[in-house]
Amino acid sequence: MTLLPIAYYMACSTVLFFIGLYCLIVKRNMIRLLMALEIMLNAANLNFIVLSGYHATGFVHPLAHVFTIISIGIGGCIIALGLVITIYAYRHYGTLDVRELRRLKH
Amino acid sequence: MFTPLLDAMIVFTTATPLIGLVGQRIKQPKIVKAYAMFALIFSLVLIPIYYFELLKEKVILVVYGGSPPPNGVLVTVDMLSIFMASIYLVIGATSALFTFREIERGNITGYYTILLGMTTAMIGIVFSGDLFSLFIFWEIMCVSSYALVAFRKERWESIEASYKYLIMSVAGSITILFALSFLYGLAGTLNIAYLSVSLTEAGENPLMYIALLMLIVGFGLQAGMAPFHTWLPDAHMAAPSPVSAILSGVMVKTGVYGFIRVLLLIFTVFYGAWQLTLATFAVLTMFTGNLMALLQDDIKRLLAYSTIANIGYILLGFSIGSIRALTGSLFHILNHAVLKALLFLCAGAFIYRTRTRSLKELAGIRRTMPITGTIFIIAVISLAGIPPLNFFWSEMMIVMATAEAGMPYLSLLMILNLMLSAVYCLRLIQMTLLKETTSISKKAKEAPATMLTAILTLGFLCILIGIYPAPFQTFAETAAEAALNLKGYTEGAIPP
Repeated sequence: MTLLPIAYYMACSTVLFFIGLYCLIVKRNMIRLLMALEIMLNAANLNFIVLSGYHATGFVHPLAHVFTIISIGIGGCIIALGLVITIYAYRHYGTLDVRELRRLKH
Repeated sequence: MFTPLLDAMIVFTTATPLIGLVGQRIKQPKIVKAYAMFALIFSLVLIPIYYFELLKEKVILVVYGGSPPPNGVLVTVDMLSIFMASIYLVIGATSALFTFREIERGNITGYYTILLGMTTAMIGIVFSGDLFSLFIFWEIMCVSSYALVAFRKERWESIEASYKYLIMSVAGSITILFALSFLYGLAGTLNIAYLSVSLTEAGENPLMYIALLMLIVGFGLQAGMAPFHTWLPDAHMAAPSPVSAILSGVMVKTGVYGFIRVLLLIFTVFYGAWQLTLATFAVLTMFTGNLMALLQDDIKRLLAYSTIANIGYILLGFSIGSIRALTGSLFHILNHAVLKALLFLCAGAFIYRTRTRSLKELAGIRRTMPITGTIFIIAVISLAGIPPLNFFWSEMMIVMATAEAGMPYLSLLMILNLMLSAVYCLRLIQMTLLKETTSISKKAKEAPATMLTAILTLGFLCILIGIYPAPFQTFAETAAEAALNLKGYTEGAIPP
């Protein structure tokens, strides 16, 4: 069985990472920023999975899979906390526009 | 399961909600406070056992569960881990003691659970022997700290600071994760000792440079390094004061610990590449912190910028890389943890009595709060680097070691920064000691007994290190030797 060269997959995950980063820099909506973080996290997880398949042809290395499953769980925790804080921010500020969150800078 | 200290902390943390529930049932909700103090002090008592064991051998290795190394996860404890863990526990215990009066209503059980969880996670970070468990403990620490910053959720400032901190810090953690995936792809393992051996043999590779850059960004973000420091003043200012003490005293130091572990053990062959980068960032960090601190009126924000400046000194000492400079760096980590926690707790006591953070309104506070005020002024004198107190020794070590290593320009820049820091220290002293009292500071009373106990403990430690630095310096030196001893670490951490 022939595999596609690893460079394609790694390019894919890197592009995904940069899409997330772009979204993090450009977007204003607080929930979209959390989605951007989720995209970046998934790019990193994807990179782990890709690199686990290329140590020996036909086999996958299990460590990356264990790590990725736990990392997905951690990502869930972070996004849940982020959404909770977003709800409180909405109650305080009455908007989801992240540019309104600048009262701390006197 | 793991090593006894980590086991004890995990059990204590998971049992905290139960204790809180029992306390509410028997109408003694304060029992959870005593329990948290007991947990932290019990763990602190376990530290000397490790210390004496480590005097005999280089590394304590515990393999648990699953497959053996290099694939499984493991605990490695060396002198550096013990050095950091003891700082975490001392600052954690004093902050928990201070919280007795600071947070009296609301979700006390939740607060102590998260606080203990954060301390546990930090100890887990310094005890983990592979990047897998390091990352997981890292995330537990980060999530706990977001929750603690947002703890007073009825205030808009906590929510705003926590949201900013969450977005920036998670982006940093994900960058670390991406770098880990490259390291994993290159070596097929995440065990630090195996990574160190195989990547040193493999030599240079373009992916290594990408991973190095990403790790510097990720750890630097948590450490408050200059272009990525913007979360730090907001978070320190909006969090409850004991949480600020923990964030500033110990949590930003885990970022520095990450640097020390990863750069010294895994990227040793790239020393030329990261040394200059890190030194540049360090100088930038110092200037940002000190110059911004000059402009502040908010007492906690000023202290937060001073933290950034001190991270700059620590990173400078670390980037020099000689044993003397690293000793200075680690000694400065200890001094800064004690001193900055003390300053934040004093500021917390002022805020508890006056409900204001503005320096203008706090003017002359020493007249109405004599004990807290006096300790605060001693701490500020130490922050300015005046000789018989603790900061002088470590700052001098870093300056001398930088000059010895043939980089006099860097030590000159650091001396310039020390002068800048003296300027805002003098302003703090003038404000709290010399000015007339305002209508707000006139009404203040002396801080409650538990707060005073925490403040006096740290103040005593601060003066003790100042007049008798030898044992602490020796401890830092053994930790620095352990951090630089690549061969000893890999031999100890790879089972025969």
